[in-house]
Amino acid sequence: MKLELIGLAVGLALGFLCPWTVPAGWSLYVAAGLLAALDSALGGARARLQGQFKLGIFLSGALGNAVIAVLLTWLGEKIGIPLYLAAVVVFGTRLFQNFAEMRRELLTGRPKRDKIE
Amino acid sequence: MKGRKRGELAVVAAFVLLGFLLGVQLKSVRLHSAVDATSASRLETLQELYNDLSNERDGLADQLATAQKELEDYRQAAASGEGSEALRQEVDYLSMVAGLTDVEGPGVMVVLQDSTAENTTGDEADYLIHDSDLLSVINELRDAGAQALSLNGQRILATSEIRCAGSVVLINGQRVTAPFVIYAIGDPTTLHNALTMRGGVVDVLSQWKIQVNVTMSEKLLIEKYSGSIATNYLTPATETTEGGEAG
Repeated sequence: MKLELIGLAVGLALGFLCPWTVPAGWSLYVAAGLLAALDSALGGARARLQGQFKLGIFLSGALGNAVIAVLLTWLGEKIGIPLYLAAVVVFGTRLFQNFAEMRRELLTGRPKRDKIE
Repeated sequence: MKGRKRGELAVVAAFVLLGFLLGVQLKSVRLHSAVDATSASRLETLQELYNDLSNERDGLADQLATAQKELEDYRQAAASGEGSEALRQEVDYLSMVAGLTDVEGPGVMVVLQDSTAENTTGDEADYLIHDSDLLSVINELRDAGAQALSLNGQRILATSEIRCAGSVVLINGQRVTAPFVIYAIGDPTTLHNALTMRGGVVDVLSQWKIQVNVTMSEKLLIEKYSGSIATNYLTPATETTEGGEAG
């Protein structure tokens, strides 16, 4: 868990320090990608905690989700419906689910946790 | 063991990416909202300036009307004095010629409208009325003996400019737009014929499908010029003044 947090901090620092910013028109796409990344990161952390982590599933999910989220945003802009809300709802729901499962795992499954670390 | 390491790495990479995106997005959103706030406050300032200036203009217009009324009174008073009938006539004549009183008489009304033709040359400007078109109409009217002229209600003085300024035309410092209505007082038939003769101004303009209507009228009213005419560079010449180009 520590490494993940360090990674997050490093990423944040890089993002703030990097010289360029997102143009206003692209802001929505970056936000959709951001949600997908959030979902992937938490999902990955959860799977590792539960000991069911599989690299292929994680990578395909991370890339595919991000691509679909950005595509939905683009399509929504073309047809005039804020389709990125679909990504917001799905990723938002899964965020809570992942968090709930991580909580259970951490608070109840001492023996299991020993198994993976 | 090895699979676990790779998995750990992938998740950490996802977290790094998450942090990076979050950082960039946070920074950008903050920057954009700052820009929006700046432009909003600038808009407010400009609006305020605009309002102030329009109020000032309205006040000045009122002041001008009062001053003109006063001037009228002085003229009346001067005219009612002894032996000033000739003087009064002179004042009336001069203010009529200078465009400082309303005048009426027979003449023509010319209405010009932008072209309705389909744009085939690709340049929209070809189909709009320009200052040169208006000037050639006015020049033609003057040539035909027009004694008083107005464009969209603005009296045309000896000092009046007619000039394109973007999509509008400036006259006497006022902006006017199409349709342009020119009043000209003079002999109606002469004025009408001068404009509509073959190869004349109307003929040329209608090649571009610019609509020009010339209507003769028995009685036209042309309003006076209500601004002020600057003379700060002018002094009546005296005999002793040595002007290089006076001769």
